[in-house]
Amino acid sequence: MHPILRLINRNLTVSLNPGFLIWQVIFPLIYIFVVGYAYTSLIPGVTLNGVEVGYPAYLATGMIGFNIMNSTLVSGLIIWNDRRHGMFEQIMSGPFTRMQYILANICTIGVVGTMSAALIVAVGFPVFHESAEFTAYTAPVIVFAAVVGSVIFGSLASIISTRLSSSEGFNVVINTTFIFLAFASTAFYPAEGAPEGLATVFYFNPLTYLVDTIRAGVFGGVTHLVLAEMAALSALAATLFVVAARLMTRLDF
Amino acid sequence: MVECISASALSKTYGDTRAVDRIDLSIDRGQAFGFLGSNGAGKSTTIKMLTTLIRPTGGSLSIFGVDALREPLRVRRRIGVVLQQPSYEPTLSVEKALVKYGMMWGVPRGECRRRAERLMDDFDIADLRRKRNEDLSIGQRRRVQVAREFMHEMDLLFLDEPTVGLDPEARRSMLDYLKRKVASGLTVFYTTHVLSEADYLCDNIAIIQKGRILASDTPAALKKRLGRRKTITLRTNAGEAAVADALAGVGECAVRAGMGARIIIESAQPESILIEVLGRLSRSGIKMREISAEAASLEEIFLETIHDASHTAAD
Repeated sequence: MHPILRLINRNLTVSLNPGFLIWQVIFPLIYIFVVGYAYTSLIPGVTLNGVEVGYPAYLATGMIGFNIMNSTLVSGLIIWNDRRHGMFEQIMSGPFTRMQYILANICTIGVVGTMSAALIVAVGFPVFHESAEFTAYTAPVIVFAAVVGSVIFGSLASIISTRLSSSEGFNVVINTTFIFLAFASTAFYPAEGAPEGLATVFYFNPLTYLVDTIRAGVFGGVTHLVLAEMAALSALAATLFVVAARLMTRLDF
Repeated sequence: MVECISASALSKTYGDTRAVDRIDLSIDRGQAFGFLGSNGAGKSTTIKMLTTLIRPTGGSLSIFGVDALREPLRVRRRIGVVLQQPSYEPTLSVEKALVKYGMMWGVPRGECRRRAERLMDDFDIADLRRKRNEDLSIGQRRRVQVAREFMHEMDLLFLDEPTVGLDPEARRSMLDYLKRKVASGLTVFYTTHVLSEADYLCDNIAIIQKGRILASDTPAALKKRLGRRKTITLRTNAGEAAVADALAGVGECAVRAGMGARIIIESAQPESILIEVLGRLSRSGIKMREISAEAASLEEIFLETIHDASHTAAD
């Protein structure tokens, strides 16, 4: 077996504990079925590319992106835990290169992110199936979003975990970053209703581009704007991956 | 003998600090090599260079004839490393951690299970198999860490203070296990603060201080070459005061009270002093009840070598 596959196998074993998996399912379920229906009186429906979708369906598709981001915390945690518990040095003294270690982490995130997306698609399907318009062209868009989103947020978590040495600092920065990304985006509500300044901030947030892409994949309507967002996501993913890889190669023992 | 590690003028500097200063090493295959030094002497930095974790700032390094600076991965495929700091997967059970570590090295799953069973017996950790690593004591975790390294094949094993936190029985058991492995052809590079361990396990020893190797040889040769002081202890039937009177003016010997006075001679030439002491005791009518002689221990040699080096540097 290739060294990267061996490391992915190891990463999945150490990071996918039952608690994490339950959290990955319970958390979005609460959002989709509790918050989604409770807030319907406040946000009755949202128009996407001329199609009116109910708020629960809008939120369920936003949760796919949110869950991808949330699950990619795994990456930061793998690197963080490996450094904290001496496994980073141990692995690096074994038959692996740093690049293999980095790629294995990104692939682990990709696997976890895609699984999470698939899980939320399955769980949220009853909510959005009436408005869904899956086609041979739009379905790959969701897979693209899952992979590129995983690379973006996984790299971001990796960058944070390489720059901080205290666990308090790591927890504060990672939680603050992810809460900001989650709520200053269109994952939970449309940008149109927000004050102009906040709506502008939404479009400096990759999660907004990610959920826009996912919604285009689910509800149809891959417009020029969505294509531009996909291009921006790809560029950002490549940039963050390169930065994460560089920082990892500079990590001292 | 075939050379396993060959280092020439190996150096590592951090800013203005020379952590390791042009050391030479030549270690044959199938031997246990002890690397002794005080805290901060450069032991761990040397191990990290030899295991290719950090790159030297100077010198050359060849392991199994492979240039370790150019082809570190080729070297790492053939070595095992137990670093000084603990390393473990906190949420995995002992058994799963062993099996997963073996699989990480590419050992087939079935073989991993067999090896894990054998190692859990060898390291007396079978009772801990279901315990999570984070719930183990320091000593138990250390045993798992050392056992885990034997999950994969290797020709050279680096152990950086592996017995820290172990009780005497576990320590001896681990050393015996390592001895058996060395006898079957494994090369071991071993650092420790417990010098009796190095004496027990190692075929050759090097003493490092402030990044420089001060002495390197077999334990016996080091004792012969550097063990200047021997201790001869005599027990007499007379009291401390009478013995002290009889030996007044004899250098390098001390009289201590005990069950009858005890005379301790600590000298590089204790034999000549012994003759003088025996003559004086005989003239004073003091009888001797017991005599014992003891060569310098490795610990004394280590301390003397470090002490001499510090004084030379100060001069």
